[in-house]
Amino acid sequence: MASVLIVDDASFMRMMIKDILEKNDFDIAGEAANGQEAVELYNELQPDLVTMDITMPEKDGIEALKEIKSSSPGANIIMCSAMGQQAMVIDAIQAGAKDFIVKPFQADRVMDAINKVLG
Amino acid sequence: MSQSEYLEVFIDESQEHLQAINDNLLQLEKEPGDLSIVGEIFRSAHTLKGMGATMGFEDLAHLTHNMENVLDLIRNDQLEVTSHVMDIVFEAVDDLEEIIVDISNGGDGKQDVDAVVKHLETLQGLEPAASGEEAATAEAVQPANTINENYDEYEWTVLTQSQEQGYQAYQIQISLDEKTMLKAARVYMVFEVLEQIGDVIKSTPPADELEEEKFDFTFVVTLLTTTEADEIKQRILKVSEISSVYIKTVNIDPYKENTTKEKNQVEEKANSSPAKKQEKRKKKESSPGKKGTELNKTIRVNIDRLDVLMNLFEELVIDRGRLEQISSELNNTELNETVERMSRISGDLQEIILNMRMMPVDQVFNRFPRMVRSLSKELGKKVNLEIIGAETELDRTIIDEIGDPLVHLIRNSIDHGIEHPDVRKSSGKSEEGTVELRAYHSGNHVFIEIEDDGAGINKEKVINKALENGVVTEEDLEKMTDQQMYGLLFASGFSTAEEVTDVSGRGVGLDVVRSTFESLGGVVTVDSELGKGSLFSIQLPLTLSIIDVMLVEVAEEKYAVPLTAIIETAIVNKKEVYSAHNQKVIDFRGKVVPLVFLHEIFQVPAKDKDETDNDFYSLVIINKGEKVAGLVVDSLIGQHDIVLKSLGNYLSDVFAISGATILGDGQVALIVDTNALIK
Repeated sequence: MASVLIVDDASFMRMMIKDILEKNDFDIAGEAANGQEAVELYNELQPDLVTMDITMPEKDGIEALKEIKSSSPGANIIMCSAMGQQAMVIDAIQAGAKDFIVKPFQADRVMDAINKVLG
Repeated sequence: MSQSEYLEVFIDESQEHLQAINDNLLQLEKEPGDLSIVGEIFRSAHTLKGMGATMGFEDLAHLTHNMENVLDLIRNDQLEVTSHVMDIVFEAVDDLEEIIVDISNGGDGKQDVDAVVKHLETLQGLEPAASGEEAATAEAVQPANTINENYDEYEWTVLTQSQEQGYQAYQIQISLDEKTMLKAARVYMVFEVLEQIGDVIKSTPPADELEEEKFDFTFVVTLLTTTEADEIKQRILKVSEISSVYIKTVNIDPYKENTTKEKNQVEEKANSSPAKKQEKRKKKESSPGKKGTELNKTIRVNIDRLDVLMNLFEELVIDRGRLEQISSELNNTELNETVERMSRISGDLQEIILNMRMMPVDQVFNRFPRMVRSLSKELGKKVNLEIIGAETELDRTIIDEIGDPLVHLIRNSIDHGIEHPDVRKSSGKSEEGTVELRAYHSGNHVFIEIEDDGAGINKEKVINKALENGVVTEEDLEKMTDQQMYGLLFASGFSTAEEVTDVSGRGVGLDVVRSTFESLGGVVTVDSELGKGSLFSIQLPLTLSIIDVMLVEVAEEKYAVPLTAIIETAIVNKKEVYSAHNQKVIDFRGKVVPLVFLHEIFQVPAKDKDETDNDFYSLVIINKGEKVAGLVVDSLIGQHDIVLKSLGNYLSDVFAISGATILGDGQVALIVDTNALIK
């Protein structure tokens, strides 16, 4: 069973993803509300996958991504983005994100992305 | 590059390819078995198709596509090269030419090509009409399955080279899921995947448009890689929101690429093509790519710029003359040396500039083989056109002008000169007549000759006709040589054709031909032997704008006589002048030479000083063909390089003056048109 770390500053969004993942038998390793937390939790939990929001307080998703990638180059990170953040998404992919999903989330899209990254 | 610049290049290249097709078709007709020629034609047709499609000229693309199919059949020995096949292909080429002409005249290149396409389709054994639409609908129904990528020459070079280095080229059509939101980011991911395994050398739409999401959901990339097609596909599909991936092997052999379009399904092809490709490449090597090497050594320069350069240089020549004059007056050694050196260098420069404007007469000659072919078919005659000296060079301005009159002369030779095969047979000649078109340099002139081995000119007929039309009088005829009588053909209002054909009896007489050549400073002569053939000879100056002249003085005025017309200069005693037929003549080297007094012709006011104290006349002996005359002038100044300037539009019909020039001392000298002075 793959474990997932969910990173998003909005608890509503975390809930949605959690819901989708649980329905598909994923193990929720933990939740983080900002980039800094995300980095700390990743190092602690070493999850199989991270869903990373881009816009967050303290430290944004891309910063966090870069930090995680630098210490764990093999990290599987999927970016969660809103419409209109194309440039950032591309930055993130350059920095090593494996895929991205666009809000509002659709369950099948999310699963598709996750399965692809893990598959 | 702006669109119009594209268009210019497009037109230029199209014309080159059309010419190549024409030449090769004629070659093919001579050697129907030589399939390498078919390959050449195919390549040109294919390039044309690609270019036409890229520029959006659909009729052009459609027509070349069908031509290509027919050529493919020929190449694969499924169709024999018969005269009928050639006719249809030629017809297609004619249409292509019309399209290109239309485009270069600013048209939209639309042309009704249905008739020819139908013929071509019949050759392919297709039901006419059906295929075009079918293909169209097929494309409409299944757009996702057809990849139709065009490459330009540079891209082809890259493709070819990388294949030589062991890379395989694939065209990959990728469709995104229709719900994809950040398409650009998705495309970015695809590119990232592709770049891990190879090089993307082209994408349609181009990368910047992809970045701006200016595409629906499908885009095509060309990838150079060593990875297998299957693996590429898997890797791309790893990216989310990709709905489909089609991969097609790019056949490096340029003309293969589009014909495989319909059956593009893919990977399996990779196995069958390498052998073929190698074979093709061998062929390419055996016929060394002359275009490639030439491309490196030449640049295209707009003709206007050369004209400007020439004009500027002409100004320089005028200043040079002035400088020479000043330095000779000042008599300063250092100045003299410098000026002399400058003159020498500018002389070299002049040669180079003139050379740059020189073009081989092939530019004009290359259209004649086609013309002769269709003309002889039309007239039911057998004619072999031989072109000699097509590499002879002439000034561009002259080249531009001589095309039409030459067409006229060649038509004339074939229509009136070469007899019908049966007539030729009965008079003991081979059935096939020969027209020889020659060009060669001689001194400061280029000669172009058209010789046929046909019936020759019937002198009696010419004379009768000339008398009938009042071109000459009986009296004149008595004094005429044979050549002069043949020359009557060129007199205005003359036509000896018993029946007016639509070939050369078009109401435009040979007199127009003559006047065109004469306006270029040329001379046309005819010689003929009844039953053996005729020879039309045209003498043209190498260049028009800077000429060598003899400067002469008449009273206070200076005149320039083109050196090309001068035989020699002489000084004769006034006692040696006789009168004959109301004309003053001299006996010069055993010939009677009429004298032309320039001060009378140009009504030059006499000098104050009494002329009679001079017992001698200074003469410039000039000729026009066989005729000779002596120009009487006051003094001979010497030989000069001068720049010919026209008198402008206001002074277009000045008798015996062909232009003017500015001399070193700032004076204007008029240039004498010697042809007008000899009747």
